[in-house]
Amino acid sequence: MVTDQGEQEMNDAISISGVSKRYGRIAALSGVDLTVPAGTIVGLVGPNGAGKTTLIRILVGALRADQGTVRVLGQDPFTNRRLVRTQIGYMPQAPVLYQDLTIGENITFFARGHLNGGVAAKVAEVVRFVDLEEEIDRQVQSLSGGQAQRTSLAAALVHEPNVLFLDEPTAGVDPELRRTFWLRFRELADSGVTLVVSTHQMDEVVHCDRVAIVRSGLVLADAAPKELFSSGGGTVRIEKETGSEQHHIGSLADDLPRVLYDLGLDRSVKRIDVQGPTMEEVILGLIDPNGGGHAV
Amino acid sequence: MRFSRIRAVGGRVLHQIARDRRFVVLVVVAPLLLVFFVKTLFEATMVPAPAQNQFVVPFGAYIVHFATFILTAIVLVRERVAETLERMFVNGYRQVEIVAGYLIGYTVLATAVSVMVLAALELLFDLGYDLGRLVEAFVILWLLAVISMALGILVSNLARTEGQVIPFIPLVIIPSFLFSGIIVAVDVLPRWAQAISRLSPMYYANQVLQQVIEGNSATSDFGAALALPIFGLVVLGLATLTLREQS
Repeated sequence: MVTDQGEQEMNDAISISGVSKRYGRIAALSGVDLTVPAGTIVGLVGPNGAGKTTLIRILVGALRADQGTVRVLGQDPFTNRRLVRTQIGYMPQAPVLYQDLTIGENITFFARGHLNGGVAAKVAEVVRFVDLEEEIDRQVQSLSGGQAQRTSLAAALVHEPNVLFLDEPTAGVDPELRRTFWLRFRELADSGVTLVVSTHQMDEVVHCDRVAIVRSGLVLADAAPKELFSSGGGTVRIEKETGSEQHHIGSLADDLPRVLYDLGLDRSVKRIDVQGPTMEEVILGLIDPNGGGHAV
Repeated sequence: MRFSRIRAVGGRVLHQIARDRRFVVLVVVAPLLLVFFVKTLFEATMVPAPAQNQFVVPFGAYIVHFATFILTAIVLVRERVAETLERMFVNGYRQVEIVAGYLIGYTVLATAVSVMVLAALELLFDLGYDLGRLVEAFVILWLLAVISMALGILVSNLARTEGQVIPFIPLVIIPSFLFSGIIVAVDVLPRWAQAISRLSPMYYANQVLQQVIEGNSATSDFGAALALPIFGLVVLGLATLTLREQS
């Protein structure tokens, strides 16, 4: 069957091709390719300085790519930013809010950028969504980190965007709230919103439909979490009556049957332990194949 | 351009000003204190009243210029550093709406500063102005305040951090004092200094104020009266065009 590329592009909320960006002598992005189908959650995972924030800022039209093509909902987010921005939401890395205003005042102010009427109803709805109804009149400077992050999320969501860019939304957030955040993100994706979420927390990639691993301005891998997981190697430990032996294999999915066959599973084998890597090990392996992997 | 967004920025700025009462008190009271210091200086030197007025009224205007210029120069660059400026842009606000909203918000403070300075001049120096002259002087001071705020926004657009704004402040404020005709007539300055004087709203404000001080109508020299708002519009246009989203 011939793929209808035009139709595919229509279904992609975001397409990035050969995007590069330099800050003076430093290359922040060096030829990034990525497509994000509509209504999916894509996780951008990588160490500090990998280029995740630069990529998100290019996608929201706050920066212009030096080279390459960027399309958000079929439009160039820089040259057509006024149009694109009516349909996107952006939650910056730190909770960028007015500290001396209340939760309600902050969300209302950012809502008024996009909405001409019905602001109060939309604000009430989004405040309910992030579960801050009781705190709505509190000043941001008196909030906990998690409450500020929820306020920032609400400010990004209030105009009901089709595409949502979240730059490290769960940084500094306690595990329970992280879980709630991901449940909310999934609800949004189920309602048709496309989400691009950058994260430090590698275990969070299991919540994503696709994971893009970013290092040194490049997307090293772009796959579903299951595919990533199966690409990892592991250890096979075989206990025999005569003793135990351990074998390292490159890819559990591809090589495990062959390794077991080669070892000859005779009656002396008492037990076989197959240990796969954690998601963190898989990603660290992709980021740094030489085993450094400490920078995330 | 959408008026509701200008109103939103102006309303937000006013909300923030209202929450910081100490700031409001300082902005309004500090100029009064400066006028009082000038009064003390003149009492000590015993300069005759007509000569005093030629200096103190423009100097009062200079205090308004100084106070309002610094306000926006610092506050807007703080928004850039905190990235709330970028967030405003991403959330649909446009350059002209942000600048207009800021001016509307801070105009409340600028009006208060103008009224207080003029009241202090009238009371401390016994200017003897009738209501018409006071209104004319107020309009000039108020226009100067708004234009100085636009100049503050323009300067803040040239800075990337709050620290970078600091060197710009004396660069604007000191030539405004030296070359705008407050101390010496602009005509006696070298041509390059005269050219610099034309870059400050203080020069244009002083031209009109001198008419009021001499007892003429502010519009008696129509060209000078028109130059102040025209200069203001140019600064406002430049401030809007240079308010860049990208750092």
